[in-house]
Amino acid sequence: MSTYWPWWAGAVGLALVTINYTLTTDRSFGVSSAWDRVLHWRRERRLEQMEEEFTDDQALAEALAAATAEHFGTGAGAPTAPQVPHQMPYGESQPPPPGVEQAADETPSVTSTGPAPLVTQAALLVSIFLGGLIAAFTSGRFQLRYDMGPGFRDLVTADPVTMVVLLFLGGVLVGFGTRLAGGCSSGHGLSGCGRLRPVSIVATAVFFGTAVGVSFLLWKVI
Amino acid sequence: MRTRGAVLLANIITGLALGYTVANIGFGDYAELNRMFTFQDLRMFFSFAGAVGIIVCVFAVLRVRRTPGRIHAGVIPGAVLFGTGWAISGGCPAIPIIQVAGGYLPALVTVVGVAVGIRLCRWANARYFHLDRGSCGL
Repeated sequence: MSTYWPWWAGAVGLALVTINYTLTTDRSFGVSSAWDRVLHWRRERRLEQMEEEFTDDQALAEALAAATAEHFGTGAGAPTAPQVPHQMPYGESQPPPPGVEQAADETPSVTSTGPAPLVTQAALLVSIFLGGLIAAFTSGRFQLRYDMGPGFRDLVTADPVTMVVLLFLGGVLVGFGTRLAGGCSSGHGLSGCGRLRPVSIVATAVFFGTAVGVSFLLWKVI
Repeated sequence: MRTRGAVLLANIITGLALGYTVANIGFGDYAELNRMFTFQDLRMFFSFAGAVGIIVCVFAVLRVRRTPGRIHAGVIPGAVLFGTGWAISGGCPAIPIIQVAGGYLPALVTVVGVAVGIRLCRWANARYFHLDRGSCGL
């Protein structure tokens, strides 16, 4: 008998994680995105600082506008404070075009937000490790080993050097592919499909289908 | 609950819960993963599909905002590369971390590979592809 959870417990667990994150942060949750931002932390930190400065500028402009209105009144001839154009410091995000998803946007508790702060994304990755560690110890499955288990040995390779090369290449494909596709199994698979985003449904179908094909090749052919 | 501290707390809770859940489902076990992808054992597949079903229903009831997203030129090639890498290494971006936590030391190599791939993608996109790829973390 498997020591792993039954399917329904896993489904409830994954759903609760995704729903809780979405409702508490008003953001979609994605591990590859967190990886991407943490790995480019210098650039991301600069962008965060720019955004903070922009917020300050906006607050300054609003204060000036209020003071101007108080001093000169709000008539047609009164001078106005300069308008600070809204910037999108995160080049990967775009606002929805006018009219898109108007009905869904009527939800009053939801606001449009930028990426989660960099430090919170780093905390997410560290917490995933700690969560995995707790699971490994509490289930009694923790075992330090220098291979990837009998499944990898039987299906892929038993040679340690080939194993290291394949794990590295597989990792590169995962990293490159998830960022090229704009998401991974959590971002596209759980959050995106949960929101019925067409791009996420297409991406999930393609990466799952490809993994099925390659796994059959490893199992039956190679 | 939108302050920096609240978002940090939410990320910590989410990370702990995700690591614990994914490890207990068995996604870090290469043999289990291959059995799922070859349909020998549908337990993990039902976990994933069941989670998506629950999320769709809850989001519909709560009228959660749908973020825009278009199918750009990188989606299908990226997903093909990701699927290939996942089947070979057994890791999506979270799983190698969980494998290391479970004692699989070679998964550190996968973690390094994922980091190299992510940096490579941003570099290649800025230099050659020029795609607005969107982001799942928004």
